[in-house]
Amino acid sequence: MGDARRVLIVDDDPIILDIVTTVLDLEDFSVTTAEDGETALELVAKEPPDVMVLDVMMPGMSGLEVCAKLRSSEEHARLPIVLLTARDTDEDRRAGMDAGADYYLSKPFSPLELIDIIEELLSVKP
Amino acid sequence: MNPDKAAELEQMRRQLQVFANDLRHIVGEERRLREETEMAFRELQQAYQDMVRTLAVSAEMKDQYTSGHLDRTYQFALALTRRVAPELTQEPTLGFGYLLHDVGKVLIPDSILNKPGPLDDDEWEIMASHPLRGFELVKPLRLLGDAALVIRSHHERWDGRGYPDGLAGEEIYLPARIFTVCDTFDAMTTDRPYRKALSIDDALHEIDRHAGTQFDPDVAREFVALCEERRPVNTEELAFVR
Repeated sequence: MGDARRVLIVDDDPIILDIVTTVLDLEDFSVTTAEDGETALELVAKEPPDVMVLDVMMPGMSGLEVCAKLRSSEEHARLPIVLLTARDTDEDRRAGMDAGADYYLSKPFSPLELIDIIEELLSVKP
Repeated sequence: MNPDKAAELEQMRRQLQVFANDLRHIVGEERRLREETEMAFRELQQAYQDMVRTLAVSAEMKDQYTSGHLDRTYQFALALTRRVAPELTQEPTLGFGYLLHDVGKVLIPDSILNKPGPLDDDEWEIMASHPLRGFELVKPLRLLGDAALVIRSHHERWDGRGYPDGLAGEEIYLPARIFTVCDTFDAMTTDRPYRKALSIDDALHEIDRHAGTQFDPDVAREFVALCEERRPVNTEELAFVR
Protein backbone atom coordinates (compact mmCIF):
# COMPACT_ATOMS: atom_id res chain seq x y z
CA MET A 1 0.00 0.00 0.00
CA GLY A 2 1.48 3.32 -1.07
CA ASP A 3 0.05 6.63 0.13
CA ALA A 4 -2.58 6.69 2.87
CA ARG A 5 -6.10 6.18 1.57
CA ARG A 6 -7.92 9.48 1.60
CA VAL A 7 -11.45 9.81 2.95
CA LEU A 8 -13.58 12.95 2.74
CA ILE A 9 -16.30 13.18 5.40
CA VAL A 10 -19.12 15.65 4.99
CA ASP A 11 -21.51 16.32 7.88
CA ASP A 12 -22.92 19.51 9.37
CA ASP A 13 -22.46 18.11 12.88
CA PRO A 14 -18.88 18.79 14.07
CA ILE A 15 -19.18 16.14 16.79
CA ILE A 16 -19.81 13.45 14.19
CA LEU A 17 -16.86 14.76 12.14
CA ASP A 18 -14.58 14.64 15.20
CA ILE A 19 -15.48 11.12 16.20
CA VAL A 20 -15.38 9.63 12.71
CA THR A 21 -12.07 11.37 12.03
CA THR A 22 -10.59 9.95 15.22
CA VAL A 23 -11.66 6.41 14.40
CA LEU A 24 -10.50 6.59 10.77
CA ASP A 25 -7.18 8.07 11.89
CA LEU A 26 -6.64 4.99 14.03
CA GLU A 27 -6.99 2.89 10.89
CA ASP A 28 -4.40 5.04 9.10
CA PHE A 29 -6.80 6.73 6.75
CA SER A 30 -6.00 10.29 5.75
CA VAL A 31 -9.16 12.24 6.62
CA THR A 32 -10.46 15.52 5.28
CA THR A 33 -13.72 17.05 6.52
CA ALA A 34 -16.30 19.50 5.26
CA GLU A 35 -19.40 20.87 7.04
CA ASP A 36 -21.49 21.53 3.94
CA GLY A 37 -22.05 20.27 0.43
CA GLU A 38 -20.60 23.28 -1.39
CA THR A 39 -17.28 23.04 0.45
CA ALA A 40 -17.26 19.30 -0.20
CA LEU A 41 -17.57 19.79 -3.95
CA GLU A 42 -14.71 22.31 -3.91
CA LEU A 43 -12.51 19.86 -2.02
CA VAL A 44 -13.33 17.04 -4.43
CA ALA A 45 -12.46 19.25 -7.37
CA LYS A 46 -9.14 20.27 -5.81
CA GLU A 47 -8.04 16.87 -4.58
CA PRO A 48 -10.37 13.94 -5.19
CA PRO A 49 -10.50 11.48 -2.23
CA ASP A 50 -10.56 7.70 -2.56
CA VAL A 51 -13.87 7.51 -0.71
CA MET A 52 -16.50 10.02 0.31
CA VAL A 53 -18.83 9.80 3.34
CA LEU A 54 -21.78 12.11 2.92
CA ASP A 55 -24.52 13.14 5.34
CA VAL A 56 -27.89 13.46 3.58
CA MET A 57 -29.55 16.13 5.68
CA MET A 58 -27.47 19.27 5.66
CA PRO A 59 -28.39 22.96 5.44
CA GLY A 60 -27.87 24.27 1.91
CA MET A 61 -27.05 21.50 -0.58
CA SER A 62 -28.29 18.13 0.61
CA GLY A 63 -26.13 15.04 0.44
CA LEU A 64 -28.38 13.65 -2.29
CA GLU A 65 -27.74 16.71 -4.41
CA VAL A 66 -23.98 16.53 -3.89
CA CYS A 67 -24.05 12.85 -4.79
CA ALA A 68 -26.10 13.39 -7.94
CA LYS A 69 -23.88 16.26 -9.01
CA LEU A 70 -20.73 14.18 -8.68
CA ARG A 71 -22.29 11.27 -10.55
CA SER A 72 -23.22 13.49 -13.46
CA SER A 73 -19.68 14.79 -13.75
CA GLU A 74 -17.18 13.09 -16.00
CA GLU A 75 -14.28 12.57 -13.61
CA HIS A 76 -16.11 11.66 -10.37
CA ALA A 77 -18.78 9.36 -11.75
CA ARG A 78 -17.12 6.37 -10.09
CA LEU A 79 -16.01 7.94 -6.79
CA PRO A 80 -17.19 5.56 -4.04
CA ILE A 81 -19.79 7.35 -1.89
CA VAL A 82 -21.37 6.30 1.42
CA LEU A 83 -24.52 8.18 2.38
CA LEU A 84 -25.36 8.81 6.05
CA THR A 85 -28.94 9.53 6.99
CA ALA A 86 -31.07 9.93 10.10
CA ARG A 87 -34.07 8.53 8.29
CA ASP A 88 -34.20 4.94 7.29
CA THR A 89 -37.12 4.12 5.06
CA ASP A 90 -37.24 2.18 1.80
CA GLU A 91 -38.07 5.42 0.07
CA ASP A 92 -34.99 7.18 1.44
CA ARG A 93 -32.87 4.25 0.55
CA ARG A 94 -34.14 4.29 -3.01
CA ALA A 95 -33.58 8.03 -3.24
CA GLY A 96 -30.00 7.46 -2.13
CA MET A 97 -29.42 4.73 -4.64
CA ASP A 98 -31.07 6.78 -7.36
CA ALA A 99 -28.64 9.58 -6.60
CA GLY A 100 -25.88 7.07 -7.29
CA ALA A 101 -24.55 6.22 -3.80
CA ASP A 102 -22.60 2.98 -3.36
CA TYR A 103 -23.76 2.46 0.20
CA TYR A 104 -26.47 3.75 2.47
CA LEU A 105 -25.81 3.83 6.23
CA SER A 106 -28.47 5.01 8.67
CA LYS A 107 -27.81 7.01 11.82
CA PRO A 108 -27.02 6.20 14.51
CA PHE A 109 -24.17 4.46 12.76
CA SER A 110 -21.17 2.53 13.99
CA PRO A 111 -17.81 3.97 12.91
CA LEU A 112 -16.43 0.42 12.91
CA GLU A 113 -19.12 -0.63 10.46
CA LEU A 114 -18.29 2.45 8.38
CA ILE A 115 -14.63 1.35 8.28
CA ASP A 116 -15.68 -2.11 7.06
CA ILE A 117 -17.79 -0.51 4.34
CA ILE A 118 -14.97 1.82 3.27
CA GLU A 119 -12.50 -1.07 3.17
CA GLU A 120 -14.90 -3.06 1.04
CA LEU A 121 -15.52 -0.19 -1.37
CA LEU A 122 -11.78 0.40 -1.73
CA SER A 123 -11.05 -3.27 -2.34
CA VAL A 124 -13.49 -3.53 -5.27
CA LYS A 125 -12.34 -0.25 -6.77
CA PRO A 126 -10.91 -0.97 -10.22
CA MET B 1 -38.12 22.09 25.22
CA ASN B 2 -39.35 22.29 21.66
CA PRO B 3 -39.98 19.00 19.89
CA ASP B 4 -37.24 19.53 17.27
CA LYS B 5 -34.62 20.09 19.92
CA ALA B 6 -35.84 17.04 21.83
CA ALA B 7 -35.65 14.87 18.70
CA GLU B 8 -32.16 16.13 17.96
CA LEU B 9 -30.99 15.34 21.47
CA GLU B 10 -32.55 11.90 21.31
CA GLN B 11 -30.77 11.27 18.03
CA MET B 12 -27.45 12.38 19.52
CA ARG B 13 -28.03 10.16 22.55
CA ARG B 14 -28.59 7.13 20.35
CA GLN B 15 -25.54 7.98 18.26
CA LEU B 16 -23.39 8.23 21.40
CA GLN B 17 -24.65 4.83 22.52
CA VAL B 18 -23.48 3.33 19.26
CA PHE B 19 -20.10 5.06 19.60
CA ALA B 20 -19.79 3.75 23.15
CA ASN B 21 -20.51 0.24 21.87
CA ASP B 22 -17.79 0.62 19.25
CA LEU B 23 -15.43 1.78 21.92
CA ARG B 24 -16.21 -1.24 24.07
CA HIS B 25 -15.58 -3.47 21.08
CA ILE B 26 -12.25 -1.78 20.29
CA VAL B 27 -11.05 -1.96 23.89
CA GLY B 28 -12.06 -5.61 24.14
CA GLU B 29 -10.20 -6.38 20.94
CA GLU B 30 -7.09 -4.55 22.19
CA ARG B 31 -7.18 -6.50 25.43
CA ARG B 32 -7.50 -9.79 23.58
CA LEU B 33 -4.57 -8.88 21.34
CA ARG B 34 -2.47 -7.87 24.31
CA GLU B 35 -3.19 -11.15 26.06
CA GLU B 36 -2.32 -13.07 22.91
CA THR B 37 0.92 -11.15 22.58
CA GLU B 38 1.85 -11.74 26.20
CA MET B 39 1.13 -15.43 25.87
CA ALA B 40 3.18 -15.67 22.68
CA PHE B 41 6.01 -13.87 24.47
CA ARG B 42 5.91 -16.29 27.39
CA GLU B 43 5.87 -19.25 25.00
CA LEU B 44 8.81 -17.82 23.12
CA GLN B 45 10.74 -17.33 26.33
CA GLN B 46 9.96 -20.88 27.42
CA ALA B 47 11.01 -22.21 24.03
CA TYR B 48 14.24 -20.28 24.26
CA GLN B 49 14.90 -21.58 27.74
CA ASP B 50 14.23 -25.14 26.58
CA MET B 51 16.66 -24.73 23.70
CA VAL B 52 19.32 -23.25 25.96
CA ARG B 53 18.87 -26.06 28.47
CA THR B 54 19.13 -28.69 25.75
CA LEU B 55 22.34 -27.14 24.52
CA ALA B 56 23.70 -26.95 28.08
CA VAL B 57 22.75 -30.54 28.83
CA SER B 58 24.44 -31.77 25.66
CA ALA B 59 27.69 -30.27 26.99
CA GLU B 60 27.14 -31.72 30.44
CA MET B 61 26.45 -35.20 29.08
CA LYS B 62 29.88 -35.31 27.46
CA ASP B 63 31.45 -34.93 30.87
CA GLN B 64 30.74 -38.14 32.77
CA TYR B 65 31.85 -36.81 36.15
CA THR B 66 29.59 -33.81 36.35
CA SER B 67 26.13 -35.30 36.63
CA GLY B 68 23.78 -32.84 38.34
CA HIS B 69 26.44 -30.16 38.29
CA LEU B 70 24.50 -28.04 35.81
CA ASP B 71 21.33 -27.70 37.86
CA ARG B 72 23.14 -27.24 41.16
CA THR B 73 25.45 -24.50 39.93
CA TYR B 74 22.52 -22.84 38.18
CA GLN B 75 20.53 -22.75 41.43
CA PHE B 76 23.56 -21.70 43.50
CA ALA B 77 24.41 -18.91 41.09
CA LEU B 78 20.85 -17.56 40.84
CA ALA B 79 20.50 -17.56 44.62
CA LEU B 80 23.83 -15.81 45.06
CA THR B 81 23.01 -13.27 42.34
CA ARG B 82 19.72 -12.43 44.05
CA ARG B 83 21.77 -11.71 47.15
CA VAL B 84 24.70 -9.83 45.62
CA ALA B 85 23.07 -8.03 42.69
CA PRO B 86 19.29 -8.55 42.71
CA GLU B 87 18.80 -6.15 39.80
CA LEU B 88 20.63 -8.61 37.53
CA THR B 89 18.02 -11.30 38.08
CA GLN B 90 15.31 -9.26 36.32
CA GLU B 91 16.45 -10.61 32.97
CA PRO B 92 16.11 -14.35 32.30
CA THR B 93 19.12 -14.21 29.99
CA LEU B 94 21.58 -14.23 32.88
CA GLY B 95 20.29 -17.66 33.90
CA PHE B 96 20.92 -18.78 30.32
CA GLY B 97 24.54 -17.70 30.73
CA TYR B 98 24.81 -19.77 33.92
CA LEU B 99 23.28 -22.82 32.24
CA LEU B 100 25.61 -22.52 29.26
CA HIS B 101 28.80 -21.86 31.21
CA ASP B 102 30.49 -25.07 30.03
CA VAL B 103 28.93 -25.25 26.56
CA GLY B 104 32.43 -24.99 25.08
CA LYS B 105 33.07 -28.53 26.31
CA VAL B 106 31.10 -29.88 23.36
CA LEU B 107 34.17 -28.88 21.35
CA ILE B 108 36.69 -30.63 23.64
CA PRO B 109 37.60 -34.23 22.71
CA ASP B 110 36.19 -36.89 25.05
CA SER B 111 39.68 -38.36 25.48
CA ILE B 112 40.76 -35.15 27.23
CA LEU B 113 37.48 -34.36 28.96
CA ASN B 114 37.26 -37.78 30.59
CA LYS B 115 40.91 -38.67 30.94
CA PRO B 116 41.36 -40.60 34.21
CA GLY B 117 44.82 -39.21 34.99
CA PRO B 118 46.29 -35.71 35.01
CA LEU B 119 46.41 -33.79 31.72
CA ASP B 120 49.72 -33.02 30.01
CA ASP B 121 50.48 -29.45 28.90
CA ASP B 122 49.00 -29.81 25.41
CA GLU B 123 45.87 -31.46 26.73
CA TRP B 124 45.53 -28.81 29.41
CA GLU B 125 45.76 -26.09 26.80
CA ILE B 126 42.93 -27.65 24.84
CA MET B 127 40.87 -28.14 28.01
CA ALA B 128 41.44 -24.52 29.02
CA SER B 129 40.15 -23.30 25.67
CA HIS B 130 36.56 -24.24 26.54
CA PRO B 131 35.50 -20.81 27.90
CA LEU B 132 36.61 -19.02 24.74
CA ARG B 133 35.29 -21.72 22.43
CA GLY B 134 31.95 -21.66 24.25
CA PHE B 135 31.82 -17.88 24.00
CA GLU B 136 32.47 -18.07 20.24
CA LEU B 137 29.88 -20.83 19.89
CA VAL B 138 27.06 -18.78 21.42
CA LYS B 139 27.98 -15.54 19.65
CA PRO B 140 25.10 -15.87 17.17
CA LEU B 141 22.64 -16.01 20.10
CA ARG B 142 22.36 -12.24 20.34
CA LEU B 143 19.65 -12.45 22.97
CA LEU B 144 22.24 -13.68 25.47
CA GLY B 145 23.92 -10.27 25.51
CA ASP B 146 26.34 -9.84 28.42
CA ALA B 147 25.32 -13.21 29.84
CA ALA B 148 27.71 -14.73 27.28
CA LEU B 149 30.52 -13.25 29.40
CA VAL B 150 29.74 -15.83 32.08
CA ILE B 151 30.81 -18.47 29.57
CA ARG B 152 33.96 -16.58 28.67
CA SER B 153 35.04 -15.47 32.14
CA HIS B 154 34.00 -18.17 34.59
CA HIS B 155 37.63 -19.31 34.95
CA GLU B 156 39.07 -15.87 35.55
CA ARG B 157 40.54 -15.19 39.00
CA TRP B 158 40.23 -12.09 41.19
CA ASP B 159 44.07 -11.84 41.33
CA GLY B 160 44.34 -11.88 37.52
CA ARG B 161 45.89 -15.34 37.25
CA GLY B 162 42.90 -17.01 35.60
CA TYR B 163 42.05 -17.62 31.94
CA PRO B 164 41.37 -16.95 29.09
CA ASP B 165 41.88 -13.18 29.35
CA GLY B 166 43.77 -12.83 32.65
CA LEU B 167 41.29 -10.19 33.83
CA ALA B 168 41.52 -9.07 37.46
CA GLY B 169 39.17 -7.67 40.11
CA GLU B 170 36.16 -5.79 38.82
CA GLU B 171 37.33 -6.12 35.23
CA ILE B 172 35.69 -9.51 35.45
CA TYR B 173 31.95 -9.45 34.74
CA LEU B 174 30.22 -9.70 38.13
CA PRO B 175 28.04 -12.72 37.28
CA ALA B 176 31.19 -14.54 36.17
CA ARG B 177 32.75 -13.77 39.58
CA ILE B 178 29.58 -15.09 41.18
CA PHE B 179 29.53 -18.18 39.06
CA THR B 180 33.13 -19.16 39.60
CA VAL B 181 32.54 -19.44 43.37
CA CYS B 182 29.50 -21.65 42.85
CA ASP B 183 31.27 -23.73 40.23
CA THR B 184 34.32 -24.34 42.42
CA PHE B 185 32.22 -25.13 45.47
CA ASP B 186 30.18 -27.69 43.54
CA ALA B 187 33.34 -29.29 42.14
CA MET B 188 34.82 -29.59 45.62
CA THR B 189 31.71 -31.13 47.15
CA THR B 190 31.33 -33.76 44.42
CA ASP B 191 33.21 -37.08 44.23
CA ARG B 192 35.80 -37.16 41.44
CA PRO B 193 37.69 -40.21 40.20
CA TYR B 194 40.91 -38.91 41.71
CA ARG B 195 39.52 -37.72 45.07
CA LYS B 196 36.57 -37.92 47.41
CA ALA B 197 34.22 -35.02 47.89
CA LEU B 198 35.03 -32.48 50.56
CA SER B 199 32.52 -31.91 53.34
CA ILE B 200 30.49 -28.72 53.07
CA ASP B 201 32.38 -27.23 56.02
CA ASP B 202 35.76 -27.95 54.46
CA ALA B 203 34.62 -26.63 51.09
CA LEU B 204 33.29 -23.42 52.61
CA HIS B 205 36.56 -23.07 54.46
CA GLU B 206 38.41 -23.38 51.14
CA ILE B 207 36.18 -20.72 49.56
CA ASP B 208 36.91 -18.43 52.47
CA ARG B 209 40.65 -19.15 52.30
CA HIS B 210 40.78 -18.15 48.61
CA ALA B 211 38.70 -15.00 48.99
CA GLY B 212 40.72 -12.11 47.61
CA THR B 213 43.00 -14.33 45.53
CA GLN B 214 40.89 -16.71 43.46
CA PHE B 215 37.53 -15.15 44.35
CA ASP B 216 36.01 -11.71 44.70
CA PRO B 217 36.15 -11.36 48.52
CA ASP B 218 32.66 -9.81 48.76
CA VAL B 219 31.12 -12.51 46.61
CA ALA B 220 32.94 -15.26 48.52
CA ARG B 221 31.76 -13.86 51.87
CA GLU B 222 28.16 -13.69 50.64
CA PHE B 223 28.37 -17.23 49.32
CA VAL B 224 29.53 -18.58 52.67
CA ALA B 225 26.79 -16.63 54.45
CA LEU B 226 24.18 -17.90 51.98
CA CYS B 227 25.23 -21.51 52.53
CA GLU B 228 25.16 -21.12 56.30
CA GLU B 229 21.62 -19.75 56.04
CA ARG B 230 20.35 -22.44 53.72
CA ARG B 231 21.83 -25.35 55.60
CA PRO B 232 19.83 -27.03 58.33
CA VAL B 233 21.98 -27.83 61.38
CA ASN B 234 24.18 -30.95 61.20
CA THR B 235 23.34 -32.05 57.69
CA GLU B 236 25.28 -32.26 54.51
CA GLU B 237 22.37 -30.99 52.46
CA LEU B 238 21.97 -27.49 51.09
CA ALA B 239 18.50 -26.32 50.26
CA PHE B 240 18.59 -24.28 47.09
CA VAL B 241 15.00 -24.48 46.12
CA ARG B 242 14.00 -21.48 44.10
